[in-house]
Amino acid sequence: MKFIHFADAHLDSPFLGLSFLPSNSFTKIHRAPNDSLTKIVDLAVKEQVDLVLIAGDTFDSPRPNPSSQLFFSHEIERLIEARIQVVMIFGNHDHMEKKDLLVSDSPYFKLLGDREQIETITRRTKGGFDYDVTGFSYLNNHITNDLVNDFPVKSSNYTFGMMHAQEKSGSGGQNVYAPFNLSELKELNYNYMALGHIHLRQVLSQAPLIVYSGNIQGRHINEMGAKGCYLGEINEQTFQTQIRFIQTGPITWQQAAIKITEPISQTDLQSKILLNLTPKETTYYSLKITGAEFLNDQERELVEDSEFWQMISHKLDFDSQLVDVRFAVSSRLKIAENDQAYFKKAQEEVFTEDQILRLCKDWAQKDSFATELAQNSQFLNEVRQLAEVELNSKLKGN
Amino acid sequence: MKLVKIAIVNFGQFSDMTIDLPSSDINVFFGSNEAGKSTIVAFIKQIMFGFHLAKHKSDFFEDYQPLARVSPMGGSLFFENAQGDIYELERLFASGKGSKAGTLTVKLNDQAVPESTFFDQIKNIDGSFFADSFIFNQDMLAKVSSIQQTDLLERIYYLGAADSDKLIDLRDFFAKKASELFKKGGSKPPLNQLIKRLQSQKSKVDDAESEFTTYQELNSDFKNLQQQQKEYENELLQLQKKQNKLQHLQNLIPSYQELTSLEKQLKPVEFDEEKYQEAQTLSLKLQSLEDHQRNLQERLAQLNQNQENMADASKLLQKKPALLQWQAEDHNCSQKNQQLANERQQLLALDPELSQIAKLDQTAVAQLQEEYQKLLSLNTDVVVQEDKQGQSLLVLGVVLVLIGIVLILSISKIGGCLLVMSGIVFFLLGIKNQQKQTQIQKRAQKRKLLAEKQRTAFTAKYGLKPDRLDITRLINDWRQFQTLEHQNKVNLQKEQQLADQLKQLAIEISAVLHQRVQPDFTIVVRAMDELDNKYSQSRYQQEAATNLKNNLAENSTALKKANLSLQTAMAEFQVHSMAEYANLQAQKQKQTELQTQISILQKNLAKDLPQLKSFLLESQTVTDQNNQLLYEIKKCQEKLQTTQSAIAEIKVKMANLANSTAVFAAKQELADLQTDFRNLSAKYLANVLACEWVGRALDLASNERFPKMLVVAKDYLRLLTNNRYNNIEVGKKLTVSRYDGKKIKVQYLSRGTSEQLYFALKLAFVQQIGDQINLPILIDDSFVNFDDQRTELIKDLLKQIAMSNQILIFTAQDKIVGKLQHPILLTKGTQNV
Repeated sequence: MKFIHFADAHLDSPFLGLSFLPSNSFTKIHRAPNDSLTKIVDLAVKEQVDLVLIAGDTFDSPRPNPSSQLFFSHEIERLIEARIQVVMIFGNHDHMEKKDLLVSDSPYFKLLGDREQIETITRRTKGGFDYDVTGFSYLNNHITNDLVNDFPVKSSNYTFGMMHAQEKSGSGGQNVYAPFNLSELKELNYNYMALGHIHLRQVLSQAPLIVYSGNIQGRHINEMGAKGCYLGEINEQTFQTQIRFIQTGPITWQQAAIKITEPISQTDLQSKILLNLTPKETTYYSLKITGAEFLNDQERELVEDSEFWQMISHKLDFDSQLVDVRFAVSSRLKIAENDQAYFKKAQEEVFTEDQILRLCKDWAQKDSFATELAQNSQFLNEVRQLAEVELNSKLKGN
Repeated sequence: MKLVKIAIVNFGQFSDMTIDLPSSDINVFFGSNEAGKSTIVAFIKQIMFGFHLAKHKSDFFEDYQPLARVSPMGGSLFFENAQGDIYELERLFASGKGSKAGTLTVKLNDQAVPESTFFDQIKNIDGSFFADSFIFNQDMLAKVSSIQQTDLLERIYYLGAADSDKLIDLRDFFAKKASELFKKGGSKPPLNQLIKRLQSQKSKVDDAESEFTTYQELNSDFKNLQQQQKEYENELLQLQKKQNKLQHLQNLIPSYQELTSLEKQLKPVEFDEEKYQEAQTLSLKLQSLEDHQRNLQERLAQLNQNQENMADASKLLQKKPALLQWQAEDHNCSQKNQQLANERQQLLALDPELSQIAKLDQTAVAQLQEEYQKLLSLNTDVVVQEDKQGQSLLVLGVVLVLIGIVLILSISKIGGCLLVMSGIVFFLLGIKNQQKQTQIQKRAQKRKLLAEKQRTAFTAKYGLKPDRLDITRLINDWRQFQTLEHQNKVNLQKEQQLADQLKQLAIEISAVLHQRVQPDFTIVVRAMDELDNKYSQSRYQQEAATNLKNNLAENSTALKKANLSLQTAMAEFQVHSMAEYANLQAQKQKQTELQTQISILQKNLAKDLPQLKSFLLESQTVTDQNNQLLYEIKKCQEKLQTTQSAIAEIKVKMANLANSTAVFAAKQELADLQTDFRNLSAKYLANVLACEWVGRALDLASNERFPKMLVVAKDYLRLLTNNRYNNIEVGKKLTVSRYDGKKIKVQYLSRGTSEQLYFALKLAFVQQIGDQINLPILIDDSFVNFDDQRTELIKDLLKQIAMSNQILIFTAQDKIVGKLQHPILLTKGTQNV
């Protein structure tokens, strides 16, 4: 038996920080998730898989726009036509009901666990191999309960589990996506646990297989690397399962880095950047400039400007783009030797998450997006780095 | 550092005055208002940090202008440090010489040293630091509500890190940059604006996402309408089928009506064609026999008739001799007639007048004679006499009148009148006479006319002129003519009798010969001869008739037999004649044809027959039904059309939605805003973080004096307010907490409490920096609002503080003086002007 596992298509989601792109490039990235899905369907048809598992967040919103819905139903119908079984769950973004989907009824299409009810179905492949699929769909944007306990004990059939969920973590506020403990999942011992929600592709466990397929197209710099789906093959006698990642996302996000150690001319800076951006496919780059304290305010403003990025992008192959620049410091603060210790200690104290959250409380309360950002450790890291750059730059007299 | 001596050269109202400060802890300067307490405070500050000229604004001292006109201005301060060294600070300003701040000379134990020798001891603070930190007066107290963390911190950090002023600036720079990007309650900073836009864009996205619901609704409507369309199409199809069927049935109605009509005509007819054929043969035979019979009978009849004629012929033939006799007599009669005619002609020729009366009968002639005689007797002459006498009388009368008139006129009237009168008499007599004569003449004339008239009438009646007539001869001739006439008449009668006889005979012969025979003797004789011939022939025919009779009898027998057979045959089918039988056959034929037609119709109508039957039974007419159906079809088509256009409309809407980029556009715009927000927020937070970082570093470098100071200040506040207030928070705004936990902003505190807070904070601060900067605390008339109890508390506090810092109190209040020792009296009299 062959199957495909993918998740987090986020069809029709917007792209943060790309509005400056020329329209053809913007159209390309806009279409990228759709193109990726089309490739997955092509793959399924080509490989004649028996089953396609869609582990949530197919749509970016519980009220997806009609064009995305129609596109999706069209792709699903291609699978149905090829008599490929599709089992899909809703995630925290597309917390909808089955009836909201425009996919027409078919024995080959199953929306599993509608309205947050854990559901198990049994299907048989064309080759006569029986398998079970158990899972649930979101009806609301949060599920605070650990639902793993409610999953049934597996039968003698090969058993797939499907969840759109996040591993339990320390702070309670974040455990709102059907939080689970990996150990519980392992104990459940389903043959293949197809997870969605985390956009970073990762295999949480090899035996039994517990897998995040990641999203099918990176949407911003924090979703780097190749994106696509897992193609699995099951030995019907031993239930041994081999999975293989297949890249389908047409655009890849990458981080590039340069380091400067002294003030640098604009021309030299450009050359240095171009030397470090060497795309092998359509790649969107985030550039980290370490030693940003050697740039003055004007230089930093220039480098942060999208027009500068476009100038660089014109010289890149495969329609690749430089879409983000971040700064980091390379040296110690230029302060009196006696005070270094004070600053180091102060940084340690102030740069803790709690302190930052305290400092940004007024700001974070103003808007839900700000609240989200305040909980985003990547963003907080950016802030920390930026604070370092700012202070260093100032102490350098820039 | 304790102030031990103040030496004023010229300053304010003071000149050349020296004050020794007896205490190293608390010194009280006592004096009424305007005694110069504030001038001393200003002197101490300005000697240390430079004269303050009117042009330079300061929070205080501005009222105390140095007396520029007294030169030199200034004086000296003498400080003693912990080691017992004496620092003398002398500052003098002479108009037009040197800095306006005055020229400072520093001496250590009477040896001139660089300024820094002293100022390093107090960490190089400036005048405002000193004023803010060590001087307590009404003006500074008033500012308590605006005390900010920064103000206090700056002074504290000053004591920590190297370049702390630069670091403080940096910290402030970051704070400012941060606050330019975002303010908690602000609306103008870019982040605040972005937040607003974010929120508005979110609702736009929300609106745009209603496309989803709209599409779902449309989709559901679409499906319903499609279903409806299908139903309407079905309905229409059914109706059209029905209508077609109806149409079909309608077309069949004439056939069906024909069928029912034909069926009504259908009745059983007993008939056998074969038997009919036999009967017909029989009938034909019978007819042939009858014809033969008739023929025989006719021939026989003819023969018989001829026989009868022959009997008549025989009688007629016997009259032949008489005929010949009649022929001869007739001839004689003709001759005699000729002779008599001639004689009459002769007679008439001889007497022409006879012709006039020849036709008259005996009576008429007798009358003629009588009339003639009468005529002769009539005289016709008449005498006529003229009356001459009458005429004379008339003339005489006229003459006499005329003479009378003349006489009257000329001679004598009387004679004239007499004459006229006699004339008139004569005239009248003449007239009467004339009238009598006329009557006689008329009578004679009348008689003459009557005679003439009678003669004319006679002539007219008889054509005879009486005047010349010989009546006797005429009568004789007339008698002779009458005789001749009579003879002719007899002869003619004889002739007529012969002709009648001949005529009778001719008629009889005509009857026998069956041909018209003219009553002419020659012709009749010839016919008689012919008759004679015919009579001879008839003898032979009699024999033939006998033969015929025999044949007839035989035939009759055969006929009877055939007739009987035919009657039998007809009786079987209850017909009385072959015509009826033929009719029966015709009926049979017709029924057969009917049956055929019915069969064809039934076959044609076969499957529709039951419907047609019930159809016609229904009360509603076919047309009504058809109209009803057409109406329903029209209605249905309209509904269908409405549905179809609704579907088309929905399709367009759905297509529009399917192609709509509104949601993505709205979300993308939101994402763009979020990007901007994220980037700007990162900058904002980086600044906040940098600010905090620097601040924290300063805190650490300054040995965390600030937190420590706050702890002390809280203690002082509790002490001063008798535990009514127990906490101080120094944020952007200063707040205190009451015993019940309620937080109160400084501006809402009572004046007394404000002063207590001010004291607590500043004393804590001074004490906190005491290890680094130890200068006297100058308290200038600050207790004006302190009541007894508070003043007591303050006194205790001051005593406690005085253990580390020297305190100089400038006051006009006796009670304070009473509570402290050794006041230095300042009076107006002490002025050295």
